[in-house]
Amino acid sequence: MPWRRFRKKVERPIDVSKSIEESLEDAADGESEEDAAELAELDDATIAEAATGEPDDDRAPTELGEKLRGALDADAPHRGGPPRSAPRGIAVDRRLGAARSEDPHAASPSYPEAGVDLTVEAARGLRLKNPVMTASGTFGQGVEYAELFDVSRLGAIVNKGTTPAARPGNPQYRIAETPSGILNSIGLENPGAAEVARKYGKAWAELGVAVIVNVAGYSVDDYVFVVHEMTGTPGVVAYEINVSCPNVKGGMLFGCDPDLAAEVTRAVKAETDLPVIVKLTPNAPDVVAVARACEEAGADALTAINTVLGMRIDTRRRRPILGTGSGGLSGPAIRPIAVHITYQVAQAVSIPIIGAGGVTNAQDALEFLMAGASSVQVGTATFADPLAPLKVIEGLAAYVKEHSLASIRDVIGVALPAPED
Amino acid sequence: MILEDGRVIATAEIGQLGTVLRVAAPGVAGQARAGQFVHVRPGPSFDPLLRRPYSFNRIDRAAGEIELIVKALGAGGDWIAARREGDRLDLLGPLGSSFVIQRATRNLLLVAGGTGIAPMRVLAEQESGRRNVTLLMGGRSVAHLWPSDRLPATVEYVTTTEDGSFGIEGRVTDAIRPLLEWADQVCACGPWPMLAALGRLRDEADRAPGTYPGRVALLETQIAVEQHMGCAMGVCRACVIVTAEGNARVCREGPVFALGDVRFADGEPATVGVTD
Repeated sequence: MPWRRFRKKVERPIDVSKSIEESLEDAADGESEEDAAELAELDDATIAEAATGEPDDDRAPTELGEKLRGALDADAPHRGGPPRSAPRGIAVDRRLGAARSEDPHAASPSYPEAGVDLTVEAARGLRLKNPVMTASGTFGQGVEYAELFDVSRLGAIVNKGTTPAARPGNPQYRIAETPSGILNSIGLENPGAAEVARKYGKAWAELGVAVIVNVAGYSVDDYVFVVHEMTGTPGVVAYEINVSCPNVKGGMLFGCDPDLAAEVTRAVKAETDLPVIVKLTPNAPDVVAVARACEEAGADALTAINTVLGMRIDTRRRRPILGTGSGGLSGPAIRPIAVHITYQVAQAVSIPIIGAGGVTNAQDALEFLMAGASSVQVGTATFADPLAPLKVIEGLAAYVKEHSLASIRDVIGVALPAPED
Repeated sequence: MILEDGRVIATAEIGQLGTVLRVAAPGVAGQARAGQFVHVRPGPSFDPLLRRPYSFNRIDRAAGEIELIVKALGAGGDWIAARREGDRLDLLGPLGSSFVIQRATRNLLLVAGGTGIAPMRVLAEQESGRRNVTLLMGGRSVAHLWPSDRLPATVEYVTTTEDGSFGIEGRVTDAIRPLLEWADQVCACGPWPMLAALGRLRDEADRAPGTYPGRVALLETQIAVEQHMGCAMGVCRACVIVTAEGNARVCREGPVFALGDVRFADGEPATVGVTD
């Protein structure tokens, strides 16, 4: 296959926690989906371990964040410096001053969602402890918001779109506010897959949060290359294939054409044993056809949706506000579009759907779940309220209790029409 | 950096500069440093959606209070500027980098344009007891200047106005040269064209021999910059500018940069990145 030419051995992650890497490799060796499911379970245990200690102490996550920030000094050009040597394995718990507990779930009782069954199958082979993730591009690499709260409470995080090589991103302006939303045109600024793996693998293991890597590119080879580079990185539980970025030339191409979307899906599936999620674009002429093609090509889940193309004009300068002219609209403004697409796609495919678009609270999340999504991503809302993802988790837990449900899974798809015989 | 529910305890209109909000926020005040900012939520709904960044205009650790200058521009600024005594304010901060005053600095020159006075006032209050401080402020008219009774008495205050309604007629760059010769270090905050003009002076000094008047101070200049901002947490990469070391986020690596590190183009920040 042509992409094999990329298979030069690029610098492997050096900061990784040995034990986690080993377990990931072990899991990656397996072929069945059960293995991947076990991997997700294993990550949950790791999550709980890392979160042990003083869960009711507001400062604990902050201190964790500060330490991570220190460890990530290279992230800041003006604070540059050589990468620090890696701590060994899960010994990070001690380094962070957190008490190790024998019970992996010991950390949770103080949180409102404790004891409520919020577990969902976010993708085939990917069970998450709750249905709330953070959306790509709105949560960086997870380490930034870790300064504010315990990110291990999240079902998962989706990292910033990762490309084969570093990208400087688009010209200014990159963001503009719109009614109940924002337009962005960042242009996938990221340090490139090898650097992401090297720099954040250790942090992801320390944060104890499941990480879904958002994979972006311009060609089938690009997507495969990124997945190849990220393979074995601690914390990574799945890949979200970004065939829907409206802000780079060709970024949306693969998401608009069912055949191309299927081709990317197949190629990435062949590269990894982890679940592969395809993020759909609402800008496709026939999003349901793309969804079906991805399912047939082996996708393990679909994210619905990426941003909606939009534009604002600066009337004083008489030109578009964004440097690239158009951008991607996100936030509550697009929620009805996203719920509708979720509703349509849910009737067309049998793989799990991850609802995304304007989720700000549990009610919004419930709309997506009832429309057929099995989990949601919180994105733009985090900019306004950094605690929005946690509030969604807490709100869903409260809903389950209030309605005496056995599980949050009981509401998935309840608003869908009854299947025809 | 924390999330804190601040409480407005006083407000004041400062000419055309904006509304100054005094906010009780002991957590933020306890950590804040000159040049840093706080990201303020413009209301409890998601419309308008984005928080607004405001540089600290006063940091009173002992009292647990901060002051912000808010311009009632656009829906978000309107809402924040309309807060009154007793109102709550959702604060995220302090964020970003801060000014670093060298221990050896004896004569400190502060340069402010418009609401760029905010961090300069913090520095004036913080440094005027330790060294000689001169504040050079420029505005369109006298109504755009910071009132001198809200500055420490020991700070020398030099002003310029474009319409000549107060102080020296012109811009700060028309009055700065003699002050540069006096200063050991310069800190500046203001609109991009003002900062770019300082950048040109610095480049000139950088190329000139060591005897060039004001060379030392210009080379030691730190500036606080503004950029359209999203999350202010370093994740969205909306607020990047070009520096000597590549893209830098104004919310994280900034807002305070060494003047010599910031790349300008035609009085504005240099264009970031490439369009494919």
